[in-house]
Amino acid sequence: MKTLKTLFIILLVAAIAPANAQTADEIIENYFENTGGKEAWDKIESMQTTGDAMMGGQSYPFVQTTLSDGRMVVKVDLQGTSFIPQAFDGEQVWTTNFQSMQAEAMDKETSENYKNNEANEFPDPFLNYKENGYKLELVGEATMEGTECYKLVLTKKPVMVDGEEKPNMTTYYFDKENFVPIVSETTMNGGPMAGMTTQTVFSDYLEAGDFYLPFSITQKFNGQVGQTIKVTDVKFNVEAEDAMFQMPEATDTEEKK
Amino acid sequence: MKKLIILFLAGMLLPTALQAQEINLKGKELFGDMRARHIGPALMSGRINDLEMHPTNTRILYAGTAGGGVWKSNDGGATFVPIFDDYAQSIGVVKLDPKDPDRTIWVGTGETWTRNSVSVGDGLYKTTDGGNNWKEIPGFENSERIASITINPNNTNEVYVGVLGALWSDSEDRGVYKTTDGGKTWSKILYVNPSTGAADVIMDPKNPNILYASMWEFRRTAWGFNSGGANSALYKSTDGGKSWNKIHNGFPAGKLGRISVQVAPSDSSIVYAVLETEDKSKNGLWKSTNGGQSWEHLNADFGLTVRPFYFSRITIDPRDPDVVVKGGLTGSISRDGGKTFKNLGNMHSDIHDITFHIKDSDIMYSGTDGGVYRSWNGGTTFEIVENLPLSQFYHISVDDAEPYNVYGGLQDNGSWYGPSSSPGGVNARDWNSVGYGDGFRVLKHPTKNIIYSEMQGAENVWRYDVDRNRTKTIQPLPRKGDPDLRFNWNAPMAVSHHAPDRFYMGSQFLHKSDDMGDSWTIISPDLTTNDPAKQDQSKSGGLSVDNSGAENHTTIFTIAESPLDENVIWVGTDDGNIQLTTDGGKNWTNVTANLTGIPANTWVYHIEASVHGKGTAYAVFDGHTHGDMKPYAMKTTDFGKTWVNIISDDIQENAFVRNIQEDYVNEDLLFLGTEFGLYVTIDGGKNWSHFTNNMPPVAVHFIDLQKKTNDIVMGTHGRGVIIIDDISPLRELNQQVLAKDVHFFKNKPFTMVEDSGFSGNFGGETQFVGGNKSTAARIVYYLKKRHTFGKMSMEVQDMQGNKIVSLPAGKSKGINVVNWNYNTYTPVMAEAKTLSFGGFTAPRVPAGKYKIVLTKGKDTYEHIIDLEYDKKSLTSLAERKEQEKMTGMLYDMVEDLAYTIYELNETQDKAREVMENNPKGKKTAQKLFDALEALKKDLVITTGDNYVASAEPELREKMGDLYANVASSYDRVSGAQKQNYELISEEWNAAKSRYQKIMEKEGKKFESFLEKNSIDPPKLKTKEEFLKKD
Repeated sequence: MKTLKTLFIILLVAAIAPANAQTADEIIENYFENTGGKEAWDKIESMQTTGDAMMGGQSYPFVQTTLSDGRMVVKVDLQGTSFIPQAFDGEQVWTTNFQSMQAEAMDKETSENYKNNEANEFPDPFLNYKENGYKLELVGEATMEGTECYKLVLTKKPVMVDGEEKPNMTTYYFDKENFVPIVSETTMNGGPMAGMTTQTVFSDYLEAGDFYLPFSITQKFNGQVGQTIKVTDVKFNVEAEDAMFQMPEATDTEEKK
Repeated sequence: MKKLIILFLAGMLLPTALQAQEINLKGKELFGDMRARHIGPALMSGRINDLEMHPTNTRILYAGTAGGGVWKSNDGGATFVPIFDDYAQSIGVVKLDPKDPDRTIWVGTGETWTRNSVSVGDGLYKTTDGGNNWKEIPGFENSERIASITINPNNTNEVYVGVLGALWSDSEDRGVYKTTDGGKTWSKILYVNPSTGAADVIMDPKNPNILYASMWEFRRTAWGFNSGGANSALYKSTDGGKSWNKIHNGFPAGKLGRISVQVAPSDSSIVYAVLETEDKSKNGLWKSTNGGQSWEHLNADFGLTVRPFYFSRITIDPRDPDVVVKGGLTGSISRDGGKTFKNLGNMHSDIHDITFHIKDSDIMYSGTDGGVYRSWNGGTTFEIVENLPLSQFYHISVDDAEPYNVYGGLQDNGSWYGPSSSPGGVNARDWNSVGYGDGFRVLKHPTKNIIYSEMQGAENVWRYDVDRNRTKTIQPLPRKGDPDLRFNWNAPMAVSHHAPDRFYMGSQFLHKSDDMGDSWTIISPDLTTNDPAKQDQSKSGGLSVDNSGAENHTTIFTIAESPLDENVIWVGTDDGNIQLTTDGGKNWTNVTANLTGIPANTWVYHIEASVHGKGTAYAVFDGHTHGDMKPYAMKTTDFGKTWVNIISDDIQENAFVRNIQEDYVNEDLLFLGTEFGLYVTIDGGKNWSHFTNNMPPVAVHFIDLQKKTNDIVMGTHGRGVIIIDDISPLRELNQQVLAKDVHFFKNKPFTMVEDSGFSGNFGGETQFVGGNKSTAARIVYYLKKRHTFGKMSMEVQDMQGNKIVSLPAGKSKGINVVNWNYNTYTPVMAEAKTLSFGGFTAPRVPAGKYKIVLTKGKDTYEHIIDLEYDKKSLTSLAERKEQEKMTGMLYDMVEDLAYTIYELNETQDKAREVMENNPKGKKTAQKLFDALEALKKDLVITTGDNYVASAEPELREKMGDLYANVASSYDRVSGAQKQNYELISEEWNAAKSRYQKIMEKEGKKFESFLEKNSIDPPKLKTKEEFLKKD
């Protein structure tokens, strides 16, 4: 009920208070209050998200498990075979090679960048952003998804790309009415798409346990839809075996069960 | 759920007071997901104004372009990406902060090579986060053109900005400005007069207190140009700009023109300058070896003196003061300190800027009228950057082919046509050349495969027979007794809506041909003001005569024949006249005096004769060549007797207008092409919205509306052709629609296009490829409010309400666009060790009606769409139905196999459980397990990987491949496929009976063992549960 009241009050306050009274930290405070309360967010130890990723008309059912120590694994099941598109064991990021179906470590820069940034962002990049050494700035207002938003830039720790240190920023657009992010934007730092902007669009904020989370997430590359993620379930504080995060040894290609 | 309800209640309470008000959505709130796509071309690229190298990182460089914004390369110039798309696209200068080059970038807008067709800038911008966010620096809003930004490398808060300023009028916003606090406050530290601006402002690389500034007196009008005067001068300051002294020791006396100046980075006593003087022999390169105290004239070669207003950049090798490069028609390089020069290697002509690599002088970059070039051998060989779509169209048109083609002419880059969509995207190779020189209007004959094109001043007008590859020049020529014909640089032409072979051209007269340009009749008197004061271009240019024809004036500029009546023809002139004939040219009425609020002699840039009434027309006026940047557009419905202003305050005050396009269905829907992008009105001009979805504020020179597709096609002067696909939803927008929570826009039936050709993507790594129009069903709807909290989903259902497939719903406020590729779900494939690629094919639905069902919370909204087969299909309807039936049979067979393998695996799991835990049943279980295992190995792959260690295909793979081949085919089911189906069916039937026999024999024994020992049988999902999708 506490959340309920807070939501109601916040909406009224939002309607009365002049928009420019907000600071970046106030927006973040409102966000956490509206989505479960910071105290509750602080208590999350692990999260398991089940859903379906649609890409190029093909559906990829997935389960993502993330721990507060940064370890993470995404598992996709397809035609009876399992793929790990991305996992982090605390030290390195690894993936399943699609051709050989064997686990392979990703390059060292990718692992280090993950370790320095995303691995510390559990369960939300804003929760401990100061402790993580990130900087948050309200840079203005903008219309996104046809909606008036606060534009916040989260400057994370720099990343290494092809031997060079690069600044690492994500821009978040918080709906001025609800104080939740509806769009984030990142300029690709490396790879063939370097310099292009990827956009992540959040909607369908639903109750998951004591929290509100986006159950519909769309990734766009230069405005074109790349993948759509439909979340079907989120569990908190799940038991997770250490082994699932560890990169498996190479196996032979002999018979399955 | 309660939380949600209260959330919604709270939301409902707040806006009650607003409900009675008119809903007036603007910009992104209105257009939502409607998004422009860019098709280039990039093969000839476009004009570059300035190049900027990163001071320490060899991978990074920037291009400031004349009309297409700022582009950054992260790969040493192999490719570029735009980083300034929300701001003025005409760029003067890009400068990186020497201490913080990765984050702090300054951009001065407004191109500085002041040709007739230049765009304008609107100030100075700065980013401190590498270009993600930009801030406009107050104080430079009226600067129009910023030529230089110079930063003290020891204290980067100290910045000097050289403002060249207004080209077409006097302005006090010129000169050299300085800030010492990173741009918060500025002082003007060098100013001469309202007609003299700062051309170059540079700093001694060793001593930041030493500055050089060249001041240039210049002015352009629509009919002439002047470079030079008593106020042009070269100044030097040794005290950080507090005081300035002319440094002309050795220069000839008299007027000076544009002056370029540069200090050698490796020896700051050496300064080079290029002068434009009254004495031709003293033009060209001057050199000082004492920091400007005295000067020596070195070289007056053509390459050094040609068109100073257009080429005035000196670049010195950072490691060698004797290697000097000068921009020019071809570009020139000296390796003996400026005594002698040779041309740079072949590349597009008109070199505006050249830079050296920061570590290797063999590597050079060149900015030209045709894009950025790279050299690896010190400037002898150049190669073009292939992904800069900066083409500068003066005009475009479209035809009615499918997909339609876009035709148009470019600044210094000829005339072209290319497809609006092409397999794999619109590539460089898709574009066809149809004219030389500067290209302008290119029109397709309405019925024949013939194209009309032209070069500057109608020096040549070509009639190109595409099929026979024959060209004929057909421009009107003076007859005995005719005065000289005055054609505009961008001479108007028009084809008739009523007589396909009829072709119009305008000089000061209107010329008409009824035989595709073979013979011409003049059907008007001189329709211009015929002001002789604006007709002498022989001395245009000032100190350096520049009579290219670009300043020809008092000419006809636009011709509009009414689509409703061939006798109604409108003509607009560059000197402000609107003339009308209603009897095919026998009599003409000058209606200019009826225009209220338009200053005299304002260029009539375009007249649009309406389809909504014979007497209805729109006219737009461009005053920027008088220094008047205001937007002007008017409408008449009574043949020009009265006119109504249709510009509102929504339009940026300096966004002068070049074009207007009406909708052919809704008279209130209009598209306005301005200097700062596209504006759209849905209420006849009472309110305008800036269209910014993937549409930079680039100069839009011409707009066409393709009638079949309802696509808005824009010819931009800096970003090529930009298209907004199918604007028909905008026709339906009105207060009733805007007040609805959800509104689905009407669709024409969708054709399920069957094109299935090939497209090589070679070169795609570094070439620009334009986006295609989607061939999917385009479901467009309006949402009054953005959907953020609660569930919202969209699905396709058949007319009986059975779910076909889910679609990712757009949730944006305003217009949402969701594409459906006519497919349903991929089949559930049998589990195996590796993937069956056939399983990634989803079947297409048959033609017919379908329901789109949008569920938003508890509310559902339905919309019916109609799908049609491709009329160009290779199959008969009966064959199509057979293909669909066969697809369905194979789909079911694939899923039957999947369920069988599921049962089999579950049974094996149970058998394994018994084998491990129950010694009494081990033998029975083992027999069943082994029998099933042997069968499974024939049905699915159990070893190998997805690449070269893959196992031999089993029944699943063979079945899946056949299914995918039949399902994805647009042709009838082939004999081979039918025979293969027979074989696979037989194998499948044999496998099924094998399975049955195993289950009847070993299975039964196992079952009775389980029963006797009270062990639960395997818990199986029903087939329906197992095959459930989504």
